[in-house]
Formats: sequence, structure tokens, C-alpha cells
Amino acid sequence: MTAALQVRNATKIFGGQVALNQVSIEVQPGEVRALVGQNGCGKSTLIKILAGFHRPEPGTEAFVGGEPLPFEDAVASEALGLRFVHQDLGLVATMDAVDNMAIGQGYDTGRIKNIRWRRERAAAKEALAALGYDINTKVPVGLLGMSERTAVAIARAMSTRGTPPKMLILDEPTANLPGAEAQRLYKLVRRVADSGVAVLFVSHHFDEVFEMAESVTVLRDGNHIITRPVEGLTEEDLIELVVGRKLDEHVRNDEAVDHGAAVLEAKNITGARVSDLSFTVHAGEVVGVAGITGSGREEIAALVFGGHGRGGVVEIDGQALPPSRPDISIDRGVALVPAERHANASLMMQTLRENITIVDPGKHMSLGFMRRSNERADVQGWLDRLDVRPANGEFTMSQLSGGNQQKVIVARWLRQEPKLLILDEPTQGVDVGAKADIHRLVDEAAAQGAAVLVMSTDHEELVRVSDRVLIMRRGKLAEVLTGSALTNDAITAATIGRDQAAAS
Amino acid sequence: MTEAAVATRRRINLGFDRFSGVYVWAVLIVIFSLWIPSLFLQVSTIKQVLSFQSITCIVALGLIVPVAAGAFDLTVGATLTVSVCFTAWALANHHGIVVASVGALLIGLLIGMANALVVVKFNVDSFIGTLGMSSILAAVAYAITNNSQIVLSTDGYAPFLNFARGQFLGLPYSVYYAAVVAVILWWVLEYTPAGRYLYAVGGNPVAARLAGVRVGRVTTLAFMTSGFVTAFAGITLLATIGTATPDAGTGYLLPAFSAVFLGATQIRPGRVNVVGTLVAIFLLATGVSGLQLAGAPSYVTSLFNGLALIIAVSLAVRTAKRRG
Repeated sequence: MTAALQVRNATKIFGGQVALNQVSIEVQPGEVRALVGQNGCGKSTLIKILAGFHRPEPGTEAFVGGEPLPFEDAVASEALGLRFVHQDLGLVATMDAVDNMAIGQGYDTGRIKNIRWRRERAAAKEALAALGYDINTKVPVGLLGMSERTAVAIARAMSTRGTPPKMLILDEPTANLPGAEAQRLYKLVRRVADSGVAVLFVSHHFDEVFEMAESVTVLRDGNHIITRPVEGLTEEDLIELVVGRKLDEHVRNDEAVDHGAAVLEAKNITGARVSDLSFTVHAGEVVGVAGITGSGREEIAALVFGGHGRGGVVEIDGQALPPSRPDISIDRGVALVPAERHANASLMMQTLRENITIVDPGKHMSLGFMRRSNERADVQGWLDRLDVRPANGEFTMSQLSGGNQQKVIVARWLRQEPKLLILDEPTQGVDVGAKADIHRLVDEAAAQGAAVLVMSTDHEELVRVSDRVLIMRRGKLAEVLTGSALTNDAITAATIGRDQAAAS
Repeated sequence: MTEAAVATRRRINLGFDRFSGVYVWAVLIVIFSLWIPSLFLQVSTIKQVLSFQSITCIVALGLIVPVAAGAFDLTVGATLTVSVCFTAWALANHHGIVVASVGALLIGLLIGMANALVVVKFNVDSFIGTLGMSSILAAVAYAITNNSQIVLSTDGYAPFLNFARGQFLGLPYSVYYAAVVAVILWWVLEYTPAGRYLYAVGGNPVAARLAGVRVGRVTTLAFMTSGFVTAFAGITLLATIGTATPDAGTGYLLPAFSAVFLGATQIRPGRVNVVGTLVAIFLLATGVSGLQLAGAPSYVTSLFNGLALIIAVSLAVRTAKRRG
């Protein structure tokens, strides 16, 4: 039997850094293969080579159904039968399934270039039905559920117009899917494979590796580590293969610390992803939250702070915090340094001074006027304390580097002396120096008695600042790591760990 | 880029950007003074420019507030008309000056609340929402006036007409009203928390909300402010012209917007502000009246306003890009 995909000695070097080193893989028709590894292991590089985005180093060879694959030629990849569905699906939310499936491959047209709508719609229906979906093809795909959208994207990829597909490549197919929907996708992938098409999917969810894949390929630091059947593989084995060593047992040396009274009590909070999450943060304690994207980690800051609506109860010092009222949360002593600074925190065209005092511009008001000189002196103290460069409150936010902008936002909130400080991805896109400074400030805030909650995808950061780390999986609190069990590897393993519930 | 380089560039910008309008204004005055000294260099010219512009000035000042909060208020023209028509109608029906003017001001506030309802509660884009509201208000104005003029005779309504026409130091009261409105709004925008909230909402509503600013409330109050100020401008306009027509305010919409946007390139570049708006209004008015005195045809007003707006704003965009 001819392999659906055969890659030999794939190598790619970016600016002297080897991203992919002599990787060879082979996938048979009808086989479902998982491709796993940590960030930066080379799996996206490999896929981008196949998709025609990157030209690999000489010596690399690839064959699709026995035919040699020309590199850096997306059209040729498609013509040979390679089909890709990226994580964001690439659908136009305002157009219906028929239009979306026609994007990139054109419509079926009549003699005067008129679109044959009826035929087009019937074909779309049929393609979706083949995947086990009955979807309304007349509504914008933005109104469909996530698994239905994924189905539309896969149906588009599987379209036989032109050459029939030989291989479907999925990038993080269930990253956006809640548990039940993921189950539906597993069935869909099965159908695709049963039709004789090979499937290769990239995944961080070990759940789906065990549910969907027959075989798994592990990459680490650009090297091919192993390709083997999933059968007989345990989760511990797989984690060890991905991380590259037996997980470290003991790195941190924690003294037993006596924390103060409970400041934050979250009781059964529920949002779009998070369900029934309860936890407590004490005065002087730093609690970290880890979880892959889609685990609910990214939603916790907004749920606790009251950035949007929530189910359940959040109490600060025993008093319930109303949802969707940031102003009240702030009055009660809660501060939020949100993720994605540009969208959620910065006033780019305003001065650092205005950015810092926006929470309480009335502070230096007397006789009906804001006293600028007092305000300037106040702000200057904070800029100096956080070592913001340039330490000039009259610069506009847009004139600062990312790390310094982030420090200004941190200053905004530290100045409020919050009881609860929430930081969501506090050092995303921040340089090393500013990162260390921000970590030091978190330590200081906790030492002064603030309760601190840090959400981060940077596991080293969590180990650095946290007393305790909550692990989120599929919207639930799965584990709590503390003391000597709190290591970088342990967090990584726990976040991608398999849910006991899903396994049973 | 080094800190020093930033500082130098900033200093240069302080010198030219912020006050470019003032320089252009000065240049215009010099040109017209040399070109047509006998006509231009008259006290009467200054008085004429000031009093002609007082209504535009008040409307533009009120408009600054919602624009600062990132919301267009296209109803200012129609609100002005409704205010003029209602006041004239109330006076003509012998409801008295107090009822007429307080009623007009309340209507202004109501219009602001209606705009806020559409924009904040119904989430309609402010440009579209207030465009729709404008059309509704135009209908209201026609209904009030029965699609005809209401003329307030000089004899019968002297006390009311004196509200704008009365003079102090040779200038009509309307000029002083514009000055008072300017001072109040300048104080609000520059020296009170309300001003900070407005600019924060206009700059990044999501960030403002997460910093505790009540975005919906700020936007609502902004619309109500422009409604109130515009209604006041309407009363002043009626007292100035003495006649209410169902299109009395239409011609003020574009000049007010031009002044606000041109003003955003001045004094505090990148944000709409009171002093910049005043500079813009008098820059445009000086240019236009100079050209008219020099014998240019009347359409030159629109031509000059349009060109000045586009040139000034495109220069400002270029500077902002270079800086960013």
C-alpha cells in the first residue's frame, strides 16, 4: 500500500536555530495519527512545510500518495490531496455554510457565470451529511455551534472538487470545543478516516490523543522522538516522551507560610467555559492558575473581577461582589491587570499620568479643580518605584515599549493598594527585565498583605510567584499543586493530563 | 529610539503641531491686512466675526463632549432646529419667556436621553443612531411649525429678542454666552474627573470599563450635555434672527463638526478640546470673512471650510503617523 504521506529527513533552520531536525514520518491511508509535543517542538513548522508556507532545507523529501510534493507551493499541496483545517477554522462568520464552502474553490456556475445556488446548496448538504452533520446551510456560520463550524471547515477541506483529498491535517481541532462537542468531533474524524483518508492532527489535549488516534508521533526540540501505536501507551509514558525526562519531583523549597484571613472566596462560579469552580485566596497568598487554552483559565479573571456576567458567588471579605460591575469591584478593593493590554487596559493616546489615575481622577481635586502638580508628584513616585522608562508621566502610552506599558498598568492598580490583585497573563509580550520586575512587585504586594491571583500560560512564572497553583481542565478545577509538588514539569503535565472523568 | 531623541521630537512637535492653527490664523490676518487694509482692519470686522460665530461656537462646544467620549452626535443640527421652533411656538402662543426657554432646555436634555437610549441601550452605532434621530427630530420641527415660519416681531417680542441682541461693550450678548459655555466646558474637560472619564471612554471603552468607569452612564451624560447646550444655542439663535423655520439649524451641523475635528489637531493634538475648537472656528471665520470682504463669491465659505478641514486633518494624521 502506498503511504498517504511520507516525509523524509525534514529539516528547517530559522536564523541558525534548528526548528526541525531530520524528521521522517509516514501515515497510511485511513490512519489517524496524533502529532504531539511542547510549544516550539517543531510540529507547526512541519505542518507549515506541508502546507507550502515554509521552504525546508535541502535533503527534505515529501510524498503524497507516492507523488513528490513540491515545497513552498500551497496550490500544489492542495492539488496533491493535502487538506488543512487550522485552529481558527478560517470561516467567514457572516456568511452561510454554502458560501464558506465555496471560498477558495469557487462556485459551481452556469453558462453566464451565474451561481447555481440550488446545486451548490445540495452539494453542501451532502458533504455535511457525509460527516454525520445536518446543518442549516442558510444561516451565517457565526450562529452555528463550535462543533458545527468545525464540521463546515472540515467539509470544505474534504471537498472533492479538483483532486480527491488524501490527507486531512487538523491543528488543535478541539481547542475551542467543550467536552460533549469534542465527542462529536471524534466521530466525525472517524468517518473521515473510514473513507480512506489519512488524518494527522496536532494536539495538546491528551484526551483526544487517546480517544481519536491510532498512532502517535512525538516531537521534541525539533527531533523525532518516537512513532508508535496508542494502544499500550499510558498517559505517564506519553508525558515523559513529550517532556523528555522523568518529571522532576522536587525543585522548590517552600517554608510553611502562615497566610492571613480569606480575602477572596469563589463559590461555584460558572461562565462560558468554567463550571462550578470554587476556591479561596488568603491575604498575603499568591495563587496561580494554569490550564491550556480552552480549559477555562482564560475566563477566570473576568469572572472573579466581574468583567462580565457569572453564575455562582464571589465574596471579598465575606461580602458578595455583584457581577458585571467593575466599578463596585474596584471600590471593594479588587484590582485587575487584564490579559491583552492593548485591548483591555491601555489608553494609548493618553499620558502615563492619565493612564495611572484613571481609576480615581478625583483624588487630587480641591476647590473644584484637579491639582495637576499634586497628581504629577503622585504619579512620578509610582513611575520611579516601578522603574518605568522613560519615567515621565507626560509621555503618551503609545511612546512606551510593551514591558513599560505593562508596568504602567501594574502601577495603576498597585497604587490602589488592593485587597485582591488579579493578574491575567501579566508578562505576556514583556521583555525579560520587565518580567522580573513585575514578579518582584507581585511578591511585594503579597508581602504587604494583598491576596494575589495570577492566571498564566507561562508555567515557570507560576512556579516563581505562586504559593499554590490551581490546574484547570475542561472548565473544572482538576488539581491543586503546592509546596514541593509545584514544579514547571508538574504544571505542564497536569494541564495536559487526561481527565479521570473523560477516561472512565 | 533613545530617550533623548523622543524628547527632542516632542519639543519640536510642541512648537509646531499644537499651535499650527494659531500661526495660520496669524498669517491669514497679515495677508488680509496687507491685501484689503481699508476693509479688513476694522473693529467692525472683529465684531462681525465674533457675533456671526457665536451660535456655531456654542453648538460646536456642546458637540465636543460626546465626540470626546467617542460618540458622534449628528442630531445637533436638528436639535438646534427643534429648540428654535419650540421656543418660537411657545412664545407665539403666549406661554411666556420662562416656559418657552426652560421647555426648550428640557427638550434638549430629552433628546440627549433618547440618543443615549438608542446608542447605549440598543447598541446602535452612534453615527447611524443619531442620523436616524435627526430625521425624527426634523419631523418634530415640521410638526411644531406646521411647515411654515413663525416670525417674532421686533416690537412684540423685544424682551426676548434682547436676550441675544442686547449689547455689552459693543458686542451682542450671544458672544458672552459662547464665552461662558466655553469656560465651563473647558473646566469640565480639563480639570474635573468627568473630563478624564470622557476621554478614557473615547480612547478605549473596554479599558475604561475595566478601570471602573461607568461607560454607559458617561456616554448618556455626554449626549445629554450636547442636547442641553445645543438647545441653549437654539434659544440664542431664535433671539438673534427672530424667525423660526423648520430648517433653521440645518446649516450648523457641518461647521460645528468641522470645528471640532479641526480643533482636535490643535493645542492638544489627537483629542478634541475646547481651546482647539475655538481656534478652529475663528481661523475659519477669519479666512471666510476676509475672502468675502475681498470680493469673493458667497460659495467660498463652504469651499474654504471644506478645504481647511481636509488639509488640517490630513496634516495631523501625517504627524501622528510619524510620531507613532
